Amino acid sequence: QELEYSNGKKYILGDISVSGNTSFSEQTIITYSGLRKGKEMTIPGEDISNAIKKLWNSKLFNDIEVYITKIEGDVAYLQIRLSDLPQLNELKINGVKKGKKESIIKEAKLNKGVKVTENLITTTKNFLTRKYKKDGFINTKVHINTIEVKDSIETARVNMVLNIDKGEKVKIKNIVFNGNEVLNDKKLRKAMKNTKKINRLRILKRSKFIDSAYQADLGHLIDKYKENGYRDARIISDSVIINNDKTISLKIDVNEGELYTFGDITFIGNTVYTNEQLSRLLRIRKGDTYNGIELQKRIADNSKPDAFDITNQYQNNGYLFSSINPVEVSADNNVIDIEIRISEGKPAYFNSVSVVGNDKTNDHVVYREIRTRPGQLYSKANVVRTVRELGQLGFFDAQEISPNFINPNPNEGTIDMEYAVKETGSSQIELQGGYGGGGFIGTLGLSFNNFSIKDIFKKDAYKPIPMGDGQKLALRLQASRFYQTYSFSFSEPWLGGKRPVQFSTSLSHTKQFLYNPSTRNADKSRSFNITGITFGLAKRLSVPDDYFTLSQAVSFQRYDLNNYNTGLFTFGDGYSNNLSYTIGLSRNNTSVDPIYPTAGSSFGVTAKLSIPYSLFNGVDYDQLSEDYDDALVRRANATSTADREYIEANKQITEIDQERYKWLEFYKINFKGDWYTQLAKDLVLRPSVEFGFLGAYNNARGVIPFERFFVGGDGLGNYSLDGRESIQLRGYPNQSLSNQDGGTIYNKFSLELRYPVTLKASAKIYALGFLEGGASYDNFRDYNPFNIKRSAGLGIRIFMPAFGLLGIDFGHGFDPLPGETVKHGWETHFIIGQQF
Amino acid sequence: CSEYQKALKSEDIAVKFKLGEDLYNEGKFAKANRLFAQIVPSYRGKPQAEKLMYLYSNSFYQMKDYYVAGYQFERFASSYPSSEKLEEASFFSAKSYYMLSPVYSKDQKETKDAIEKLQEFINLFPDSQYAEEANKLVQELDFKLEKKAFEIAKQYKEIAPGYTKDFNAAIKSFDNFLFDFPGSSLREDAMFYKLDAMYQQAMNSVEYKNTIQEGLLYLKKDRLENAKEFSNTFKKTFTNSKYIETVNEMSGTIEEELQNYSTKS
Repeated sequence: QELEYSNGKKYILGDISVSGNTSFSEQTIITYSGLRKGKEMTIPGEDISNAIKKLWNSKLFNDIEVYITKIEGDVAYLQIRLSDLPQLNELKINGVKKGKKESIIKEAKLNKGVKVTENLITTTKNFLTRKYKKDGFINTKVHINTIEVKDSIETARVNMVLNIDKGEKVKIKNIVFNGNEVLNDKKLRKAMKNTKKINRLRILKRSKFIDSAYQADLGHLIDKYKENGYRDARIISDSVIINNDKTISLKIDVNEGELYTFGDITFIGNTVYTNEQLSRLLRIRKGDTYNGIELQKRIADNSKPDAFDITNQYQNNGYLFSSINPVEVSADNNVIDIEIRISEGKPAYFNSVSVVGNDKTNDHVVYREIRTRPGQLYSKANVVRTVRELGQLGFFDAQEISPNFINPNPNEGTIDMEYAVKETGSSQIELQGGYGGGGFIGTLGLSFNNFSIKDIFKKDAYKPIPMGDGQKLALRLQASRFYQTYSFSFSEPWLGGKRPVQFSTSLSHTKQFLYNPSTRNADKSRSFNITGITFGLAKRLSVPDDYFTLSQAVSFQRYDLNNYNTGLFTFGDGYSNNLSYTIGLSRNNTSVDPIYPTAGSSFGVTAKLSIPYSLFNGVDYDQLSEDYDDALVRRANATSTADREYIEANKQITEIDQERYKWLEFYKINFKGDWYTQLAKDLVLRPSVEFGFLGAYNNARGVIPFERFFVGGDGLGNYSLDGRESIQLRGYPNQSLSNQDGGTIYNKFSLELRYPVTLKASAKIYALGFLEGGASYDNFRDYNPFNIKRSAGLGIRIFMPAFGLLGIDFGHGFDPLPGETVKHGWETHFIIGQQF
Repeated sequence: CSEYQKALKSEDIAVKFKLGEDLYNEGKFAKANRLFAQIVPSYRGKPQAEKLMYLYSNSFYQMKDYYVAGYQFERFASSYPSSEKLEEASFFSAKSYYMLSPVYSKDQKETKDAIEKLQEFINLFPDSQYAEEANKLVQELDFKLEKKAFEIAKQYKEIAPGYTKDFNAAIKSFDNFLFDFPGSSLREDAMFYKLDAMYQQAMNSVEYKNTIQEGLLYLKKDRLENAKEFSNTFKKTFTNSKYIETVNEMSGTIEEELQNYSTKS
C-alpha cells in the first residue's frame, strides 16, 4: 500500500510479521527494529525509517523493507521483509606466502563470520592492489570470488577465494628526459625525491616504482624549474615503458619555457615600514632570476617559526591581523612585476592573559615567567619564548604547552591569550640499596622540584607534599658500614618574589671511619668528618642579552681528622678549612624540552676563589717549603721507619702540612659549553667542551690536594669527600684517568648524537651515540689538549617523572689506562640522576 | 569471620543491603560503600534502587570522595526526577563540586563548574532549605575568582619595578579586574594599586618615545595627566579610604611634576 509521506497519519500498531530469507527469529528482528505492538506512530513517518535504520545498523541484514499489510480503523498491521547478509565461512588466499596470509586477514579484517557485502569485496580488492603497488609490484591483480555454502545450517554463508597475482617486482632501470636544455638530466633526477633509477651504490632509497610517489615527483620536477626562473615549465607527456627484464623505464618530455626575471617589486599598503625596510627583508632585486618559491619564503617561511621574513617582521611588532599577498601584475617580455599587497590591520594588544591546567603550580610561579602581558603589544617571538620558558621550568610537560589565541578582535585590535599547560610529576624519589665499595650501601634521596615551603605547616597542603611554589628541596641520606652522608639543599627561584634572583643553600655532613679492606671492618674511633654549608644567589641579567645568568656563592667546608691516616693527608690528626667564593656567568637558550633539548646552547664559566691568606698572614711559605723539602730528604735518608731521624722528619712534614692546609688557598676556573643542533627531524647533535684549572696564588704554599679533577667513568659525584670533581669520560672506569691525587687541569671534548624513541610525558626515552676524549694533567707544563684518552659508544636514557633520569652506556676506550699498554676496551656505565 | 566479611562473600543481595544500611547508619561509610558497590548492578531497575543509590552516593560524599559523589548524586537526580530526595541530591551534587574547588592560585576549572552547578540548583529550587547555603557557597567561589584575578594583577605591579618595567600589565589587569568584578570587595585595593602603578609608571617615564605603531608619544606628560585624573576618581569614590593619605601625597607630587609642563608652554 502506497502512502504519501507528507500526509502521515497516526495509527496504533497492530501485529508485526516478518518475512524473507532470514535465520533470525521473528521476535528478535522485531525487538531489533524497535517497533512495538500497541505503540502509537505516524505512518509514513520517522518511526518507520528509524526502524529500518536500526536494522541496517546491526549489519546483519540486506534489502530491508517495511510494508503495511492492512489497516483496520486506526490500527495498522506491518510486515518487515528482509534477508540475511551472508557470513564469511572460509577464506582461501592464493598467490602469497603463508606468513603473509595472516597479516592480510588482519589488515583487511577478513575474519570468519564477517558479513560479506559488495562493499567489502570492493574495498578488499582496492586495498590489496594498492598495498602491493606501494611495494613496487605495479602489475598486481586481485580477483575475489565468493561461493555460497549450501548445507544444513540455516545461516547464509559464503566461502571466499582471494587470488592475488603480484606479478614481478618492477624496478626503474632508467629515467629519460626529453626537451631539457637548461637543467641537465642529473639535476632533474635529483629533483625527483622518491623515484630513482637503479644504482647499486645508493642504499637509503630504493628504485622501486610507486605511482603516487612518481606523480608527486613530477610536481617536484616542475618546482625545480620554477626555482630556476622557468615559470612556464611543464611536462608535455610522460610514459612508462615496460622492459623485458622486470624493469621499466620512464620517459618524461618537458617543455622548459623561457627564463623569467623579477621586474619591479612594489609594496602597497605599508604604512608602518618603508619600502626600503621591506626590500631589505625581501632581498630580491630587479633583474634576479624569477623564483616563486623563494619569494614566498621571504614573505612567509612556514618551515622556520623564527625566520627573518616580512610576515614575522609584522607579527613580532604587534601586527597580528596583518596579511601579505604577492600578486603578479605584469609578465611582459618574461619580466615579472610583483606587487606585494599588505594589509597591516590594527596593531593587536593583549587584553587578558591566562593560564589553565596548573592544578599543582601556583599562579605566581607561572605568570612571572610569561612574556606576553596584558596591555602589551602582540609579538609572536614573545609567545614562542614564553612557551619555551614555561617548558624549562620543568613543572609542565614541555611537549604539551599550547598558546591559544582567544577572542581576536581586529576592529579593536585586541587579543586574549591562554596558555594551556599540563602538570607533570616533578618530584623524584631515590631509594636504593646495593653492594659496593666493600659493603652494603643504602641511599634515600628525595627531591621535590616544585616545593612550597610556606605550606609546610598546613595540613591540607599535603597531597602528598606541599607543592606549587616552584622551590626545590632535596634531601639525601647515604650510609654504609664505614661512612654516612647527609645532605640537604633548598632553592627559591625568585627570592622576595619581585625579581628573578635565585637563592639557594645547601648543608652537608659526611662522616667516614677508617676502613680496612682486608678485614672489612671500620674503626669507629678513627674518623674523618666533613661539614659544609653554601649560600648562593643567581641573578638573570638583561645585558648582553636576557639569556645570561650571573651567579655568586659563598661556601665553607671543614675537614676534621681524628687519627685518620690515608694518602690524602700527611697528618692524621688535624683540620682544614675551605672558605671560598664562587662567581659564575652562564648563558642558556636551549629549547624546548629540558630533558631533550633540540636547539640552542648553554655555556658557563665559573671561578672559585679563596682569600689569598698568604699575602697578609705573615707566614714565610718559602721557608716552610724549604723545610719541607729538607724534611723529605731526611726522611728518605733514614734507615728504617723506627729511626729517630725518620720519626722527627715525619713529624715536621705533618706540622708543615697542617700549617699549609689550615685554611685552603686556591683558585679554580671551569668552563663548559654545550650546543644542540637538529640534524634531521628529532635527530640532535650535541657537541660539548669542558675545561678546568686549579691553581695556587702562592707557589711555595702549593696547589691544594682538595678540589681536584678526576677524569673517567660515569661522572656521578656520589662519593666525593674532598670537593673533588668527577668528570665523565665513558669507556673507562670511574676516576681512572687521573692519578690518585687528582689532576689540577683537565679538558674534555665530546660529540653526542641523540635520537628520541618517545617523548611522552610519562616516559621520555632517547638513544645516543657518543665520541669523546679528555684527560687531566698534573700541572700546566704537562698540559696538552691533544694528548687525550678517546672513547666511543652507545647508550640509552629513560626519564620518568618519579625516578628522574636513568640510563646505561656502553663505552669503548681506545687508549690504555695510565700504567697499562693495551687499549682499555669496553666498559658499562649506569647513569642515575640528571647530568648537567 | 566477622559479619561484615560474611556479608561481603554472601550471594544474598538482601543481606548485603541490610548490613550496608546498618553500617551506613553507624557512620561506617567506607564499609557500607563496599557492600553497596557490590549490589548496585543487581538492584538496577528495582524499586529499592532509589534508596540504595541515594545511600551509595552519600557514602562517597561522607568518604570525601567528592569526584565520585558529585557524579553519583547527579546520576541519582537524573534517574529519579520525582524522588523526595531530589532536592537534597541536587544540592549535594553541586556541593561536591564546591568541595573540589582548589585554592585560588591554581587552575579554577572546578570552581567555575561548581558555580554553574550551584547556580543551577538555586534556579531549580529557589525556596529550598539549602538555597541560603548554596548562595553563600557561590559567593565564596566568586570571591576566589576575584582574588585570583586581583593577585595576578598585583604581581604584575610587584615585578614591574625590578624586572619587567611593565607597569602597563598591572594597569591593564586591574582595569580588567574592575570591569569583570564591579561589585568586588577588593575594589578599593584594586583601584589603589592601579593608581600606584600609574603613578610609578608616570614618574619613571621618559619624556617621549617614537613608536612604529602609534607614532610619537609624549609618555611622561600623558601618564602624569592620566594618573592625576585617576587619583581624583579614587578620592571621590573612596573619601574615607585607608589609602587616602598616600593618595593625597601622590597627587601632590604629580601636581609638582605637571608644573614643569605648564611653565614651559
